[in-house]
Amino acid sequence: MIAANNQPSWRRFLLRYETLLLAVLVIEWLIFYHYGTSTNRRGHLVGFGTLDRQFDILRHSCEIGLLALALTPVILTAGIDLSVGSLLGLCAIVFGKLWHDGGLSIPLAAALTLVVGAMGGGLNAGLITALRLPPLIVTLGTYSLFRGLAEAITQGAVTYTDFPSGFLFLGQERWNGLPMQAWLFLLMAVLVWILVHRTTWGRSFRVIGFSPEGARYAGLPVERRVSIVYILAGIIAALAALIYTARLGQAKADAGTGYELFAITAVVLGGTSIFGGRGSVTGTLLGVAAIAVLKNGLACLPVVIRLNAAEEISGLLTGALLLVALTGNAVPTFLNYLRARRQAR
Amino acid sequence: MNRYFREISVTVALGLVLLVMAGFAPGFYQAQPLLSLITREAPTLVVMCGMALIIISRQIDISVGSQFSVCSIGAGLLAARGWPLVAVLPAAMMMGAAFGAFNGWLIAGLRLPSIVVTLATMVMLRQGLNLLQQGAFVNLPDGVQWFGLSQTVGQWTLVAAALSLLLACGLFMRHVAAGRWVYAVGTDAEAARLAGIRPHWVTFLVFVFVGALTGLAATMNLVQSPQIQPLVGSGLELKVIAAVVVGGVAISGGRGNVWGAFAGLLLLACVSPALTHLHVEAYWEKAIQGMIILLAVVADGLRQRGLKGGHG
Amino acid sequence: MLSGPPPPPPLLTLRRAAKNFGGVRALRGVDFDLQAGEVHALLGENGAGKSTLIKIITGAHQPDAGEIIVAGRSLTGLTPSLAQQLGIACIYQQPALFPDLTVAENIGLRLEPAGSMRRINWSQRRQRALELLARVGANLSPEAEVRTLSMPEQQLVEIACAVGAGARIVVMDEPTASLTSREQDRLFTVVRELRSSGVGIIYISHRLDEIFTLADRVTVLRDGESVGTQPVSAITHAGLIKLMVGREVDQLYPPTEFTGGEIVLELRNVGCAAAGVYNVSLAVRAGEVFGLAGLVGAGRSELARVLFGLTPADRGEILLCGKPITPRSPAEAVALGLAYVPEDRRRHGVVLELPIDQNITMAIHARLFPTAWLKLGTERKLALDFIRDLAVKCAGPQAPGGSLSGGNQQKVSLARWLATQPKILILDEPTQGVDVGAKSEIHRIIRQLAKAGLAVIMISSDLPEILGMSDRIGVMRGGKLTTILPGQSDAHAVMAAALGQELAKGAA
Repeated sequence: MIAANNQPSWRRFLLRYETLLLAVLVIEWLIFYHYGTSTNRRGHLVGFGTLDRQFDILRHSCEIGLLALALTPVILTAGIDLSVGSLLGLCAIVFGKLWHDGGLSIPLAAALTLVVGAMGGGLNAGLITALRLPPLIVTLGTYSLFRGLAEAITQGAVTYTDFPSGFLFLGQERWNGLPMQAWLFLLMAVLVWILVHRTTWGRSFRVIGFSPEGARYAGLPVERRVSIVYILAGIIAALAALIYTARLGQAKADAGTGYELFAITAVVLGGTSIFGGRGSVTGTLLGVAAIAVLKNGLACLPVVIRLNAAEEISGLLTGALLLVALTGNAVPTFLNYLRARRQAR
Repeated sequence: MNRYFREISVTVALGLVLLVMAGFAPGFYQAQPLLSLITREAPTLVVMCGMALIIISRQIDISVGSQFSVCSIGAGLLAARGWPLVAVLPAAMMMGAAFGAFNGWLIAGLRLPSIVVTLATMVMLRQGLNLLQQGAFVNLPDGVQWFGLSQTVGQWTLVAAALSLLLACGLFMRHVAAGRWVYAVGTDAEAARLAGIRPHWVTFLVFVFVGALTGLAATMNLVQSPQIQPLVGSGLELKVIAAVVVGGVAISGGRGNVWGAFAGLLLLACVSPALTHLHVEAYWEKAIQGMIILLAVVADGLRQRGLKGGHG
Repeated sequence: MLSGPPPPPPLLTLRRAAKNFGGVRALRGVDFDLQAGEVHALLGENGAGKSTLIKIITGAHQPDAGEIIVAGRSLTGLTPSLAQQLGIACIYQQPALFPDLTVAENIGLRLEPAGSMRRINWSQRRQRALELLARVGANLSPEAEVRTLSMPEQQLVEIACAVGAGARIVVMDEPTASLTSREQDRLFTVVRELRSSGVGIIYISHRLDEIFTLADRVTVLRDGESVGTQPVSAITHAGLIKLMVGREVDQLYPPTEFTGGEIVLELRNVGCAAAGVYNVSLAVRAGEVFGLAGLVGAGRSELARVLFGLTPADRGEILLCGKPITPRSPAEAVALGLAYVPEDRRRHGVVLELPIDQNITMAIHARLFPTAWLKLGTERKLALDFIRDLAVKCAGPQAPGGSLSGGNQQKVSLARWLATQPKILILDEPTQGVDVGAKSEIHRIIRQLAKAGLAVIMISSDLPEILGMSDRIGVMRGGKLTTILPGQSDAHAVMAAALGQELAKGAA
């Protein structure tokens, strides 16, 4: 550890996990650009290299990206939240219901949806901090509960559609060159980055993740800080629900099914340790990008198009990538463990 | 009796549900639908036994659903090629055991956290299956469904098989040294090491075991229908984890048993038919299941607090 | 001298056993022997090398030099499992049992033969557990879960395991530390029964009375050396204390300049049942170093944790500058102006993974960054100031806490609390595991702080340190503050008070 710190800053930068991930991302992008772009008969570019395709990637990765942003502080505190995908579904339904059946205006309905998201996160937070229950099992319960409530509200059949175009703009149009939701995503990314890397709150998340007892002895309000990360996760899940609804033009109960897994994958791939403390928002963003580019880039490769298996191959590769990243992350821990054992002898 | 408080209370809750059903919806107790319900849950029961062991040893495996799908399709393809069931069954179990061994190697060998490892293998198995199968169903030859016997006989066979496995598991965990080692490792791996147990081997073998059970369960599911679809196992992992947790197996390891988990599984499985018979909208099923899980862990949390407070 | 049969060979002999940890010489050369059927007490100050000696005997550590002879066999490379096979068992203060399993099962898992597929005979397990529990005089249900048992009950389970394993050599590490007197009597009966069955018992205790009631011989360790083995009948309390502390203050401590000041912290009958602290009354003045002496487990750290709100007081009054306060959490205590540098640096004092500057500012987030926005420049500057003032040897403020030596970690921990500009500073074992150079630097810093008007409470098990640094010395025993001695007291008086001896009985 001392050695790594004595090295010049440029070498430290190169040795950082994020840099490595960025390099992988760039290489990945270049490969897809080279093999996935072609010219059609009219002489137009088609495939991966087109701007439209790049915007598509952005558009499709916003919701999972938001959930990954939400999960980064959670995992930094050595917690986990499996319920964000379900909460996204519940919030989408609540929003649809409030607007469609409740007759509320879109902004009011959206604001209330965010409140519902905060309440969902608050439920997790309360159970985890007040009763000292393990986050894994609490959020497993709310995972079922939130999805179940969404299904109960819609009777399993209702989908809310016909949202006004002003709202759909949020998910389907561009503004200043970028898809609208990309702006929102960037805004959230900056906010979460600031929270995690530039405020005392983010600092305490790390301390709690590394050593909850140490945090307590340093006089940090551990319970309150832990509550914040889950409530924040709930709010961001609600925001993702709004974007999801706007992109598809409909709110349905199965929105966001399985998203939590992709989000966790992105966070861990981004170098955040599942044991807490270590990690960065930049890493998460790169993790999200790596997964999104992989998925969409594969869909442009001729060989994959022939096989019609972009989703599957990208899933396989993502899983494998996660295991590789995990093994890489675990190596220092494992070495420390060996060293500790040697010293104990 | 304090030690089995949780198992007893889940069983009592189950009994209450069954009583309410007897009073308000006797239609629930028609023999054939009830048998069908239990038969449908038989493979889940088998996987649940494995999950109970995993959680008792202080690990978790969320890839069982994907393992189940892959083993189902694998077994289905073998059966479609004309393999007899007696050959398909061990093949499926071997396949599952191999997946379990991979998980176990990463977790026990490389000391990676089980939640993330099995998350990765879950995605990989699922997508690998989709890649090979492209969502296509596998049609099974005639002799496979209900082992070529009548439906009732087949159903009883499956139920009997699942229950005897539960019995075997329960007895093993209680009366065989290796079963107790799983508890020891889940309670305190370091103390287990001092007592001469090799915790990492125990963890590894538990994962192999749950893989083999998943293969068995896949075969038991196979014989229930004329065709098998690749999504058959999706969501299974959460269902069995929920059952195990509701049944009193502590997520922190070392506590609980398969009997409680069995009661938990029945309780959760009753929700849907009970709703139907009580004329409540069936869409509440998942929400109620979530509530049951939360209630169970909250009760645990409150009880732990009470215990601590009592001892000062 | 040739009359009578030759004495039987000892169960265990250590010859010139030595052990170094890094540069620290934990054992310099210990001679020790244990006969069958005797209780051999091991006595020494904290840090005299008792725990290292136990670890060598149980095979957890290998000695660097010297010889271990068990039952006539000279052993090199004693491992824990080999030690078990040779019949060596150790009962630690914190039993290593399976908390979720029953007593019967805990005993069974230890004693039953290997073999993964053998059948568990529960009635036999139960029977055996009952027998063993009866033999050690424990009135416990074999069906009870271990985590529902009290600490002494768990110890009895451990002893039952040792008895069941047919141990010939039983090491007991302060077995009575948390026992009531009735439990203690029961334990003594067990020990005597073990002795009469031919077991050799190494008995470690700080309670001299116990040693005189129970032990046959006593060996005193001092600074990693055995300074004498005597039959208990041939030695007095005073003689034992003299053997234990018989060393000069070998270090120069900076002189005190305390002449009196305002009372900063006053405790009136403060107690906390959960922490095991009872009825403590004391007053600490500005500029004073108040030393808290006592044995490990005497309730000193527990008192500090009560003051710091980690285990809030349930009795009595705490006054800070005359105003009553009730810290309910560390956060509140920090806001009130209390600072606590904990004993376990690596778990509580410094977050090893985080850099030095972040460790230093951890307790002053609210003051340094009032808007919650981190000002990294300010933080860095503050850290650099502390690194300079306290002479922390490090690669820079960005170096992780784990990369520092023990003494420098302690300085970082100290810096964190000095940064809070506290009214009262509680130091818990400030120089434990710190090399000599850093130690005297820390002493110098403490003295400077006191000179600047800070009230300091210093908990220490290092007797010379207590004597050299304190303006007054409070001695705790069994969760109570028993005596307050002036700073110029001698070692005998402090040790006698800590051990619970009347001064009249001692050599003073």
